[in-house]
Amino acid sequence: MGTILHKYDVKALLIEAAGDWDVYAPFEEAPGDVAFRRMNETDRGGGLARLELGDLPSLAGPKGLFFPQSETLFRFGSGGVEETVESSPKLLFGIRSCDLAGLLFADGFFEKDFADSYRHSRRQGSLLVVKGCLSPPRPTSCFCVSAGTGPFAEGGFDLQLVELGEDYAVEIGSEAGERFVADHPRYFAPRDSPSAEIARVKEGAAETLGLKVDFGKALKLMEAGDFEKVYAELGERCIYCGACLYVCPTCTCFNVFDRGAGGEGERLRNWDGCVFEGYTREASGHNPRTKKSSRTARRYEHKLKYDPSAAGRSGCVGCGRCLDACPVGIGMSKFIRTITGGTEES
Amino acid sequence: MTTDAVRNEYLPLPALIRDIRRETFDVKTFSLEPVGVGEPFAYRQGQFAELSVLGLGEVPISITSSPSRKGHLEFTIRAAGRVTRAMHELAIGDTMHIRGPYGNAFPFESLKGKNLYFVAGGIGLAPLRSLINMVLDAKGEFGNVRILYGAKSPDELCFKGELEEWKAIPGVEVLATVDRADQGWKGRVGLVTTLWDEVGLSPANAVAILCGPPIMIKFAAAGLAERGFGDGEIIMTLERYMKCGVGKCGHCNIGGRFVCTDGPVFDYGQVKAMPAKEGVF
Repeated sequence: MGTILHKYDVKALLIEAAGDWDVYAPFEEAPGDVAFRRMNETDRGGGLARLELGDLPSLAGPKGLFFPQSETLFRFGSGGVEETVESSPKLLFGIRSCDLAGLLFADGFFEKDFADSYRHSRRQGSLLVVKGCLSPPRPTSCFCVSAGTGPFAEGGFDLQLVELGEDYAVEIGSEAGERFVADHPRYFAPRDSPSAEIARVKEGAAETLGLKVDFGKALKLMEAGDFEKVYAELGERCIYCGACLYVCPTCTCFNVFDRGAGGEGERLRNWDGCVFEGYTREASGHNPRTKKSSRTARRYEHKLKYDPSAAGRSGCVGCGRCLDACPVGIGMSKFIRTITGGTEES
Repeated sequence: MTTDAVRNEYLPLPALIRDIRRETFDVKTFSLEPVGVGEPFAYRQGQFAELSVLGLGEVPISITSSPSRKGHLEFTIRAAGRVTRAMHELAIGDTMHIRGPYGNAFPFESLKGKNLYFVAGGIGLAPLRSLINMVLDAKGEFGNVRILYGAKSPDELCFKGELEEWKAIPGVEVLATVDRADQGWKGRVGLVTTLWDEVGLSPANAVAILCGPPIMIKFAAAGLAERGFGDGEIIMTLERYMKCGVGKCGHCNIGGRFVCTDGPVFDYGQVKAMPAKEGVF
């Protein structure tokens, strides 16, 4: 037995779900400009008119919901150190399979050895609803098929929606997902599983993704490869703005700093990035990674060499955001093509 | 994802400053006592802690006291940046904040029976001092101990009183040298590596433990290797800008390793395997 959700019921479902959850979904803020953000009163008042579940890409993924760009770790004052904790129940509706891969990667990293309590408390109890892509949101930059992360997820989601005409076939990936379906019986209808049709849609979706790179070959080459010339060339072009890091679903680096005066204040952490010159600068002024090329190398080697060996999975999920965000046209797919020596376009 | 509450590793504890000793014009040693924890702050030789001045920030500082001397928790700190300069303004009875200890430790058991060469540059003696005092507190179980200590100038030598105490222990040699002498300096002038012939440096049944500026480590380690020390017999503790101390913030990454959690103690083989472009030396 399968489960079906009618497309025209989605908005009502989200409004109902907002009784129990903080609902996050893609909203088209301006034509073509999609933000994955919290659904608010204005959205509800407008009947979720701006909900965008088509194939438009969101600028940033859902990373920041669990690992905000800036967050307070604790406040301090005369009463001592006071921890700040955020743990609202979050329903993420309509994330892409690449976004899911990024979140699962970050789960693995932040939970490794000890759980990062801040991300843990934001993430625990959240519900991830993936909507697979029927056509590539970033046709010239995303390459999930090559990276093995999409266009549909094979697991790790709570629910996954597969578009079948006017309906979504709902794949249930966890007990929490099953519970959510059971909690909203008006919207989820049992139906004979159209498994052949689902398979056909998924296959067809994969075929629409035109940008292909030889990801496996790239990982293999990076194990021992020495691409200093490529890093030097990219290092000359890169303007070190960090846009690629901020939109990257798997970038996890952060800086920590205090703000306050007169014994009262707070400690915060902010996203940081390995391409910034100050990232490794010590108080003495000594900086082991001053060369532009070594900072560029750091980014690619971390994702494609050290992450696979430490985490068993690549630090690139193929979302293509880095290339889209880059003012000078540098991105992961281009880097992979350069080192694998082929255009591999099909 | 579990729904258990997890321990917050980023929350520091208050620590009372029990004592402050001036080492040099810009280096002081602080004796701290964490409050409100009930049990002593347990640590191992070579580990570090994150110390805070709330409102200014947090810095990783190696623990210079020895675990063999229970109840002592000391940090030797150079006024180098905003936070450490503020620490130097603090007085006995003031409070810092602390979390840790973090990182791995120097070997101890495996050093027993060996001749040990400690090679330090400047404030690099601070982390080595933890192991030195631990060894000296069990001196009978070790071979000869030579402490080779270099600094830029005589007024940058730390732990001057203790150097004299160590010197007086049978089987311990302490040789200090400076890059530039001043008028009062009657001792040696030159890099630490120039001391090797004077102590009859020999790799036989020996281990060398290093800490100092990257350039010193680079030449000292290469020189020791040249004299026959194996990769596993040259042990060093590395420094790197770090924020969290617990393997999350990413700043101290060298290749696939974290200095904070995989180190700070590495042997020469591990360090040589690190990518040269990461500027380990």
